[in-house]
Amino acid sequence: MLDSLRASIRRTAFALLGLLAALFLYLSYIQVIQSDFLAGHPLNRRTAAAAEKVERGTVFDRRGEKLAYSEKDGDGRYVRHYPYGAMAAHVVGYSSPRYGQSGVESAFNGELSGMTNPERRFGPITGLWTAKAGNSVTLTLDGELQETAYRALGNRRGAVVAIAPRSGAVLVMVSRPAFEPDAVDDDWKEIVGAAGSPLLNRATQGLYPPGSTLKVLVAEAALTEKMTDNRKTYECQGSFKIGPDYVLHEANNKAHGKVGLEEALAVSCNVTFGRLSLELGRSRMAKAFDRFAFARPLGGDFAEASSRLPDFGRLGDGDLAQTGIGQGSLLVTPLRMAMLAAAFADRGTMLKPFLVSRVTAPDGSALRQFGTVEFAAATSPATAAEVNRMMQQVVSGGTGYAARIAGVKVAGKTGTAENPHGAPHAWFIGFAPADEPEIAVAVVVENGGAGGEEAAPIARQIMARALR
Amino acid sequence: MDTKRECYLLLLAGAVLLAGVLAVSLVGGAPDYRALVTAAGLALAWPVAHFALRRAGHLGDGLLLPLAAVLTALGLIMVFRLKPGLFMVQALWAALGLAAFLGSAFFFRQAERWSEYKYFWGLAGIALLLATALFGVDIGGNKNWLFIGPVHFQPSEFAKLFIVLFLAAYLNERREVLTFATRRYGPLILPQPRILAPLLAVWGLAMLMLVGQRDLGAALLYFGTATVMIYLASGRAGYLLWGAGMFLVGSVLAYTLYPHVRARIDIWLDPWADPSGRAYQVVQSLFALGSGGALGSGLGYGFPGLVPEVHTDFIFAAIGEELGLAGAGAVMMLYILLVYRAFRAALLAPSPFRALLAGGLAVLLGLQVLVIVGGVTKFLPLTGVTLPLVSYGGSSVVATFILLGMVLAMSEKRPTDA
Repeated sequence: MLDSLRASIRRTAFALLGLLAALFLYLSYIQVIQSDFLAGHPLNRRTAAAAEKVERGTVFDRRGEKLAYSEKDGDGRYVRHYPYGAMAAHVVGYSSPRYGQSGVESAFNGELSGMTNPERRFGPITGLWTAKAGNSVTLTLDGELQETAYRALGNRRGAVVAIAPRSGAVLVMVSRPAFEPDAVDDDWKEIVGAAGSPLLNRATQGLYPPGSTLKVLVAEAALTEKMTDNRKTYECQGSFKIGPDYVLHEANNKAHGKVGLEEALAVSCNVTFGRLSLELGRSRMAKAFDRFAFARPLGGDFAEASSRLPDFGRLGDGDLAQTGIGQGSLLVTPLRMAMLAAAFADRGTMLKPFLVSRVTAPDGSALRQFGTVEFAAATSPATAAEVNRMMQQVVSGGTGYAARIAGVKVAGKTGTAENPHGAPHAWFIGFAPADEPEIAVAVVVENGGAGGEEAAPIARQIMARALR
Repeated sequence: MDTKRECYLLLLAGAVLLAGVLAVSLVGGAPDYRALVTAAGLALAWPVAHFALRRAGHLGDGLLLPLAAVLTALGLIMVFRLKPGLFMVQALWAALGLAAFLGSAFFFRQAERWSEYKYFWGLAGIALLLATALFGVDIGGNKNWLFIGPVHFQPSEFAKLFIVLFLAAYLNERREVLTFATRRYGPLILPQPRILAPLLAVWGLAMLMLVGQRDLGAALLYFGTATVMIYLASGRAGYLLWGAGMFLVGSVLAYTLYPHVRARIDIWLDPWADPSGRAYQVVQSLFALGSGGALGSGLGYGFPGLVPEVHTDFIFAAIGEELGLAGAGAVMMLYILLVYRAFRAALLAPSPFRALLAGGLAVLLGLQVLVIVGGVTKFLPLTGVTLPLVSYGGSSVVATFILLGMVLAMSEKRPTDA
């Protein structure tokens, strides 16, 4: 009697213990095989919650002003603050537990969050090397200049980039419309849906036809290839017929008459530069863009949109002439145009722009330093000096008069870029002082109209402020 | 089992408790002396209970109390981690549970004597459940709480012990009838109606719990345990078929009639269809377990607070997150050992009644662990029951200790029995 009872007990025990053992195996599957999927799932808030426990590093400008810092709120969680708000929103970026990071907050997230070594697999032992506070990042940005540029641009859409030509340090990077990085969590939907895409950093990701500002490049190419010198003159009758069915026009069909290269640049003569592009031809034009490294990615601190260069080999004459005056299918970012200006300011060497000068540990010790790196040997010092001189002429006696600063030699070039979205984009690129350059700028005002009237005064304000 | 080893193991369980409470309080900054003294008191109480048991000549299984103590220790550590304010209450329940364990261990030495009052136990169990059905209060979606003055408790935790006791006694008397007085129709056996009656009664009870109190988990436990006990008593697998059939009927009825049952099943089939809505709790539990990985985040360094009801039904997810598979697997091993020792007691029991009782208790305990750990890990559809000894909650802790005291009494091999 007891034996049959024991037999069924034994069977039941095997079945139940077997089920518990199967559950054990399933648990192992969940915690080991499925672990990565579950831990990294976007709906799993643990990564964000862990970030709230760590004091994220501070972002400083070049003078030590705070651009972003973390502070404990009432519940003991760290909350991010941005003293410069919308003014530096694109360059500093945002850091949101829900929507991730952008700008420097994203590019240096590992350093700022102190989680450069996310080895969670070691379990509790990780506590030995994960930091209680993140590292701080110091930018080359100048908060004061940034504010000047932001206000100078006003409510117009556009971008401003300023670089220190002799180091490559980025001093200003403004994009408008902007957003409040403090409000990203609360107003995400409005920010994403707002007109003018405020999240877009137009300085590095806005692609625009450069218009006449590109003429400095064509002038450089003509000099480098010895197509012209200052004695050779060109005849401008207001328009220029290319082939059977293409005519290049001056603005308002104004005839410039007999002009040399210097005067052609000062008055921004389309006919002369269209002709020069044709004389240079496809391959030498392509080489010029190559020397200034338009197609080579910057990498590093910037999320950059790559320039759209025409396929020179297949370009018709009309399109080649269009490219020579910065129109056609050519599209570039304001950052690249600031680099172009800076190259002429600094002896023809193009430096790699950098935004972060150093990373410091919470105890103040420097962990990483960044400095000047050559990006491209764009042109010879002599040619650069020649273009520099011609660019001074643009400001002192040409279309760039609005950028003049009393007592300072300013070099520049205006642009008024036709585009399919309405009024032309207003451009200005330049640098000052022309013989001892401290700041190079690129300004674009979307659909702003004439570059000399809309963009040059903005550049003037920034340069004047920087040289004060 | 030499009794010295039981004492060592209990000291070890005490050390686990003290180390855990110390670790958790140090994460918060300073050591919490009140909690530490309480833990020390409990750590001391376990060896004292051991001496009381052995001095009085109790010869029950020496592994049961240490296993229960480690699980209680882990439960207290996690409650202290998750809801520090509930730690003292839970420690008090653990102490009361220990007393109940001793009482039960001695009381059920004369199990045969008490089995004569089987109808009293059975009616008491049913009365408790009916009282809950009539006067029950809804806490956290389950209407299975009873208030008596300031004390509130979950009668179903105790009633299940009464029902198992009644079934063991009732089935023991009718074992022969169950085994032989049947008619066979192919694989199906049809017992006489009066023998099928208790099964039907428990099934009805389970359905009542389901309908009246929405207590899916308890219903499953009662019915599953009763079915397996009838199988144990009869040795006829056919009764399991009957049980499975009735369970299926009940499940289909519940599925079609009750949206909350339907939701549980849908969530189980595909939690990722609505991870932020209906499946929120299970998905959060899976996140906790997955984030814990093999070694866990360490006590105090995880985010178990993201899982709703984490200190009661979902405490296993918190263990999996902060102690990893190492900790959660250890808990599983402890339960497997505990259930194994209970079955072992049943196998070695000197009389059929004691074997049935110990076997029934082993099934009850094993099923409860299976149902809740399975639910939390999405191995099974989720039904809310407590994780024995570990979840916060006095009724569950005390009832489980009484259950283990009964098993201890059943495991005793007294010289007179030999």
